[in-house]
Parts: sequence; C-alpha cells; structure tokens
Amino acid sequence: MITVHKLFGRQLAQARAADGTIDLDALGALVSQAYAESDEDRRRTDRSIALMVDELDQLNRHLERLVEERTAALRAREAELKAQNVRFDAALNNMTQALLMFDAEHRLLIANNRYLDMYKLTRDQIPPGSTLEHILECRRAAGTYFGDPKSFTDYLIPALAERKVITRFSELPDGRTMFILIQPLPDGGWISTHQDITERRRAEQQIAYMAQHDFLTNLPNRVLLRERLEQAVPALCEGEQLAVLYLDLDHFKTINDTLGHHFGDELLKAAALRLRSIVKACDTVARMGGDEFVVVQTGIRRMQQTTALAQRICEAMRQPFDLEGHTVVVEVSIGISLAPGDGQAPNDLLKNADIALYRAKAEGRSTFRFFEPDMDTRMKARHELAIALRHALTEGQFELHYQPLVALSDQRVTACEALLRWNHPVRGQIPPDTFIPIAEEIGIIAAIGEWVIGKACADAVRWPHDVKLAVNLSPIQVMNPNLVSVIVRALAVSGLPATRLEIEITESALLHHTDATLAALHRLRSLGVGISMDDFGTGYSSLSSLRSFPFNKIKIDRCFVQSLVDGDDSVAIIEAIAGLAKSLGMITTAEGVETLEQMNRVRALGCTEMQGYLISRPRPLNDLWPLFATECRRTGTAD
Amino acid sequence: MRATQFSWREGRAWDRVSADDLRADLVLYFGSRQALDDGRRYDELRAMFPRAHLVGCSTGGQISGGDLTDDAVAATALSFDATRLRVACAPAQGSDCSRTCGRTIGRALADDGLAGVFVLSDGLTVNGSELVAGIMQEIGAAIPVSGGLAGDGAQFERTLVGADCAPGPGTVAAVGFYGRAVRIGHGSAGGWDEFGPRRSITRSQGNVLHELDGRPALDLYMRYLGEEAAKGLPGTALLFPLKVFDPDRPEHDIVRTVLSVDHDNGTMTFAGDLPQGWTAQLMRGSFDRLAQGAGDAARQAADGLNGSRGDKVAVLVSCIGRRLLMGQRTLDEIEAVGTEFGPDVAQIGFYSYGEISPHWQTGLSELHNQTMTVTTLAEAAG
Repeated sequence: MITVHKLFGRQLAQARAADGTIDLDALGALVSQAYAESDEDRRRTDRSIALMVDELDQLNRHLERLVEERTAALRAREAELKAQNVRFDAALNNMTQALLMFDAEHRLLIANNRYLDMYKLTRDQIPPGSTLEHILECRRAAGTYFGDPKSFTDYLIPALAERKVITRFSELPDGRTMFILIQPLPDGGWISTHQDITERRRAEQQIAYMAQHDFLTNLPNRVLLRERLEQAVPALCEGEQLAVLYLDLDHFKTINDTLGHHFGDELLKAAALRLRSIVKACDTVARMGGDEFVVVQTGIRRMQQTTALAQRICEAMRQPFDLEGHTVVVEVSIGISLAPGDGQAPNDLLKNADIALYRAKAEGRSTFRFFEPDMDTRMKARHELAIALRHALTEGQFELHYQPLVALSDQRVTACEALLRWNHPVRGQIPPDTFIPIAEEIGIIAAIGEWVIGKACADAVRWPHDVKLAVNLSPIQVMNPNLVSVIVRALAVSGLPATRLEIEITESALLHHTDATLAALHRLRSLGVGISMDDFGTGYSSLSSLRSFPFNKIKIDRCFVQSLVDGDDSVAIIEAIAGLAKSLGMITTAEGVETLEQMNRVRALGCTEMQGYLISRPRPLNDLWPLFATECRRTGTAD
Repeated sequence: MRATQFSWREGRAWDRVSADDLRADLVLYFGSRQALDDGRRYDELRAMFPRAHLVGCSTGGQISGGDLTDDAVAATALSFDATRLRVACAPAQGSDCSRTCGRTIGRALADDGLAGVFVLSDGLTVNGSELVAGIMQEIGAAIPVSGGLAGDGAQFERTLVGADCAPGPGTVAAVGFYGRAVRIGHGSAGGWDEFGPRRSITRSQGNVLHELDGRPALDLYMRYLGEEAAKGLPGTALLFPLKVFDPDRPEHDIVRTVLSVDHDNGTMTFAGDLPQGWTAQLMRGSFDRLAQGAGDAARQAADGLNGSRGDKVAVLVSCIGRRLLMGQRTLDEIEAVGTEFGPDVAQIGFYSYGEISPHWQTGLSELHNQTMTVTTLAEAAG
C-alpha cells in the first residue's frame, strides 16, 4: 500500500464516481489545477521576494544616503562645535573675571586662565573633576586663601541645593579684594565668577575719605565732624562733658588778600598741623572751611581741662609762622560750647560755639569765650543790626560829625576830622565801634567809606580855605585797589583841593602792606593829599611803620595823653615821638586832650597840634561855623 | 441542544430532516449568491421550519462538515433546551452609516441575560469596524460578538443577508443568545507572515487608504501582484493583506483586507479602518502556516465547549483571501479545524469578506480580515 499525498487523496476521492471507478479526466483536471496553483504560488512567492529584496535594497540605499547626509551634517556640526569651542575658549580665557564651573556632583568642569593667574595656581593642580575643597586647599598653599576650605564647602553645597545665588567679598592675604558671585545652573551644577575689585574698593575708600576730609589740610571736614559729634555725644558717661572749640584765625582775610591765596593756603596747612599737634590723638580737629576750624575735646571731667586746651591753642597759634620767606603772626579767637549743657545735637553745639566765637572776637580777638545762653540773644541783636545797616546808606541814616584839630601855637582850627554817625530810626545813634566791625564783616565798608569821603569833601569845600578835612581810612579801605580813584573822584566832584584833604590810617593798615598799597599812598601824597598816622603808639611796630612811609602827620594815641599825669613813661614816649616827628618834618597831633593841663604838657613836650574835648566834641556840620568864625580860645571849658 | 446539518444542491433539492428537527428554533444557512438571489431557498426553508428564525447570507464558499462547496446551500437546524433567542435586522446604507446600523442592532438585542451575539453583515457596503463598535456601544464590551461579512465568491459585486426574510443586499442581521445555559466559544487566528518593510499610513480616511509612505497604495499593490494578477483586483489584493497597528501599541495588531479599489483615485477600500499615522506591513501566506492558523483558532474556541451537553456546533468564518491563495489546499485548513474538534462537533460555515470575533488578546470584539474565526455553540449540562 503506497501512501499518497493528502491533496492527491482528496483529488482521488473527488474523481471517484458513485460506482467506485475513477474519472481519469476529472482527476487529471484536478491534478493539473493543483500544479497550476502551486506554480502560481511559487511565482507569486518569487515575485514578492524579489520585490521585497528590491524594496529593501532601495530602502537600504535610502538609509545609506540618509546616514551619509547625517554623517556629513554631524561632521559639519562637529567642525562648528570645534570652532565654537575655540571661540568659547578664547572668550573664557580672556575674561577679566575668573571663572569656575562645576557639575551637579560638585566636580570641576572648567577653570579659566584668569582664575589660575588670579590665585597663583597651575592647571595641573586643579584638573577637571577636582572638588572645590581641593581647589581651596591649593589656594591656601599658594597663599591666596585664608579661610577654612571644608567649612566653606559645608556652607556652600546646601545653599546651592536651595538654588540660592551667593555673593561675597573675599579679602585675600595679599590685600586684594575679590567680588565672588556663585550661581546655580539649571542642570544642578553651578558657576562661580571672581572679580578683582581691589582698585574699585580703593577708589571707593578714597572717595569716601574725600567726602569726609578737607582737601587742603587733610583734616576731617564738617561732614565727618558732624558724624563724630553724633556718635560722641550720646556716648558721654555720667558727669563727662565734650567741648566744641570753634576757632578762626584773626585777620586771615587780610593775609590772604595781601600775601595771596597760595600763601593763605600754606598758612592754613601749617595752622592745621600745629593744631593737630596740640590736640590729643583721640580728639578731633576739623576744618569747617575758610579760616575756621573746630576742635572736639572729649573725656572732660573738669572745665579747667577745656580752658587749658583753649589757652594752649591760643598760645601755640600766637607763635610766628615762617612760611616762604615771610614771618607772619596769626592769632585765633575761640568760641566754646559744652555738651550736653549747651546742646546735644551737632548743629546746636556748633552754632553755640560759633556764637561764643563772635563774642570772643567782639571782645578783642585772640581770646576764647565759653558760650553763655544770653550770647545767643546778643547775636540775634547783632544780626538784626547787620540787616538794618544794609539799608542805612540808601535811607540816609548816616551823618558826619566833625571834630576840630587846632594848632597848639595859636589855637587856630587847622583841620576837622570827619566822624561817622548812624542815626538808627528806632535805636537812635549807634556808635561806630558797634557798627563798623559789622560793616566790615558784611562787606559794605567800602561803600560806606566812599560815601564818607564824598560827603566830607562836599562839606569841607565850604569851610575856610585854611581848614583841612581829615578822613579816617580803615585797613580794608587802604587795601582797596580803587582807593585812589575813589578819592580823586570825591575831590573832583566836590571841587576840594587835594591839599586840603588829609587821610588818616592806622598802623594795622600797614601791617600787611603790599607794594600796591604803598604805591597808592605815594600817589595820593604826590597829588597833595596829606597822610596821617592815626592812633600812633598802640601797635607793635610803630616805629618801623614810620619808616615804611613818609607820613605828613603823627597822631599820638589818647592813652598817652590821658596817662600823662600819672606816669613818666608817657611823657618820655610823647617827647620822643614829637622829637622824632620834628626831625622828620612831621606834624604831631596829641589826641584826647581834655584838660588845660594836658594841653600845656603836650605843647611843652613838642606836639604841634591837639584834638579833644577841651576844644570840642565832634559836632554836626552846621555847628562848626562858630569854630571857624571865632578863634578858639583856651577858655578852660569845653564847648 | 440539538443540531442537524443539511444542505441544498442544484438539482437535488434539500436533504430530508427529521420531524424533531423541523421544530428547530434557529436555522443558519450559507449559500452562493446565485443560489440565494431569487429568494426561493428562503421560501423553501420557511416552509420547512415554520417556527424557526432563519438567518443566512451569501458567501465565498460554504463549509459543511469537512467539505467545501461553491454551489450548494449549507444549513444547520438548532433546537435549544434552555436558551432564548432574539433576531434583529437593519438596513446598512453605506459605510458612513455603519455605526448607526450597529447601534440599531445593539439596541434591539440589549436585554437581561444576553450572552452573545452572532452577526451577519453585507460584505461590500458596511464598515465592519464601525458596525461592531456600534453594537458594543449598546450591549457593552463584555458580551462577545462574532460572525462575519457576507461574500460573493471572488466577484465582489453583490452580497446578501437575511433574517426571517429572503436575503438581500445592504442588510445586517444578528441573533442574540440569552440565558445562562448557552455556551459560546471564540477563536480567531491568521497564520499570515509579515514581509517587506514597515510602511507608514500617510493618508487615509476611515477604511479608505490613499497613501503608504507618501505614495499611492494602489501602485504598491499592483507592483506586487504583477501585471496579470493586477487585472484580478480587488480579489487578487486579498493575497497580500495588510497588518496594521498603532506605533504606540505595536502588540495590538489587526489584519486588514481589500474590499474594493478605485483606479481613478488610486485608493483602496478595506474592510476596516486604517487610521492615518499607523504602521502597515504587507503579509503573505503559505499553505501550511495558514492551515496551522486555522487550527489555532479552533483550539481557542474549543474552551467554550467545556461543561456542555448535547450537540455542539462550530461555525467557521474564514476569509475569502485565504481560499484564493490556497486553492485546492483550502481544505487543509478546514481539516485542521476538524482535527482540533474531533467528530463530536458539527462544522458549518463560509468564506467571508470579513470576520467578526473578540480579539484573542484584548477580548474586545472587532472586525478581522484574513483570519479563520470559529464560534462554538452548545448548552450547558442540566
């Protein structure tokens, strides 16, 4: 029995007729169809395999092409990345800032060259992968870190975990200052940049210093002074005081004007040094501006300590300054306020010390005064006076009175001295001693002086021709460059001959004289104007001032005349002056003659003229005429 | 349950059946379009089985016992002991209305105790995926739906379906089985092998495929079929079904087969959806692998027969594409199913234009193509 294929078995079954015979035609057809189906299936299979191979081949080629394209793109990208890296590297290593970059594991990724230079490291010391702690250890060994690497790392890592940005200033052992900025990165890493801000810090410190110090003297300025006072006053202990000594250099302006600003500056610097040398290191010496200084004395238990310091300052400043070939003497006036008694706020303390300073100046300069509460009131009054003074000229409140000078030989009136009076609308007549210093201070003395000369010349032109006009010039007027033109104009306007004008100047006007001042005086003298030395004998260098200029007249100060009776000194002095004057061809006028006895004595001692209440007090213009009309006789009574 | 198979052959009329069988509850019948078209077979059956539901369709070949015929009408008469039945029928006017049609069927059948649905649908005008989705929408995803799309040999011209009426085109018919006694088993397998590169569905609309990898899909098919076979489109396209899957769920693949082609537009209409963006791969079959697949389907369905008593029936719905490929070897797959079940299980069935069965992995009922699906019917003991 042979085994037939399953399909053939089915074909045989299908081809078998009901009687069991095989229909060979039918079987043949079935078999043949099966072959055809099989062929078709094979062809289909072959075809599909061929197509698939072809398709896969195409796909493969497509993929190869794609790979090539991608490879080329990758190569281009790689080249671009390389170039980018070179640029990045250049940028990184040419930054002015040092930079470190760490990954999320806190391992070093990048350290730029600037970092290595800045902290004196080599690249080998801190390879990529180094920890911050290791880097800081290296820096410590290099002397560019003096913290504790571990404790800094322990602080930093948790802070970065909280995504904090950390900034800090780092002072290096070598004095440099770094500004460090540490910022977390989105990937968990972080970046640290370091900027050397040493120069900036220095500049800032310099600026801060300049903001608080006086450029010229290097002393603290008013800003720092205020700050120190603000700190010192609240810190005072029970029973402890603090003194504010406000001082200015007497006549500094004159020195500045006559010897020049440069000299003035040098003097201020020298004065500052001298002050600083007197004052304790813990005390402050500040310059307020101009010639004003403030000394703050701390730790005072007894007022005597402050008095002693003030005396020390006055004494020390009184010593001559030898500067640039000049020897100058400056003196200081000092006003003192004490905290907490005279105030606690810096402003109050300074204001009160300033008030006391004015008082000191008013009381004769070169001295010191403690603040007293009523000084404030007086200051206010003085301030009001200053305001009124500004209006006095325009509102015609000034008036000239005249006091005659008579020849001792025949009692004839030789001249009248113009004396300024101020008729205050409310306070009545105010004496010149009171308002002249204020006028000088507020800068209207020149205008007043000009008015005086103009008015006096206009008055005198109507007097008898042999009566001269004497006008006082203040030191400030003497130094006014317009002096000559002011006088010439007054003479021209009034028609008064120059020979009938005498100007009187004090020794102090010549104390700081300059060539210009002397030239002006010579010019006036050449015009015929007489020049008198007023109040002779009260200054320090009276005799030497006589040598500096050829005066026409010496007016001997009243103090000598009034002490004639008591002491022989005055007699000797007057006699010597009169003798000297005579030998130099000068007139000698004795001032302040009030009695007949004084008159007789000064005449006996060689004086040629006199002035004083014995003859007449200063009187208004209209009251002068009787003096001119009748010869002034020695009647024994004052007019 | 009692089951009796009988048939009609040209020139021989219907086989005789016993008087008991004439009181059957349900007669399933499958025949060629030519045999069913005039309605006389239905009338004859109606006369024979006055109280039975008569549900049948045209095919691409009838399976009866271990045999395969093209011109006969194969039928089986089923009498149930404890199972209730309900039949639903709805017109299916075009694939756009397939879901609506499915929902109509589903609504008609949805009821307490529904254990399973056997559905027969027009094979040319219905989108099977949408039809099944519509039915499930109404009855729930847990109840198995099986069956198939009617066939028309290799002509693809007209398919006929009928339930308690003469079978006609554009019809969907379904039988619902109710009660706890009924035992329904399912199996579905292909046995096809993928070949060639994976392709992307770059343009499609529902079940109409325009482009694969940016090129007309029809061109690809014609190239693979060769000039001669291309003339046999759309039938010959069945030789190369498409496996499609969502690239995100590659394990859940579905096989799709061609229903019609449009040479003017270069498109192909498939028996189910081909969503744009999905991946497609051509498949091809070998005789042995396809027969093996049929055996796998029978093995899956055999589980449903456990604990049953009385007669057992296996309804085989296999794809016309398999038959076209296998030719005379088609019987190999019918034999493979028979071998799995043994002589106790009666086999009836047909070659279809699409198979409906729960997916072997997900358990969700859906349309399959190019598979052998097996539905077993029996009733439980007692």
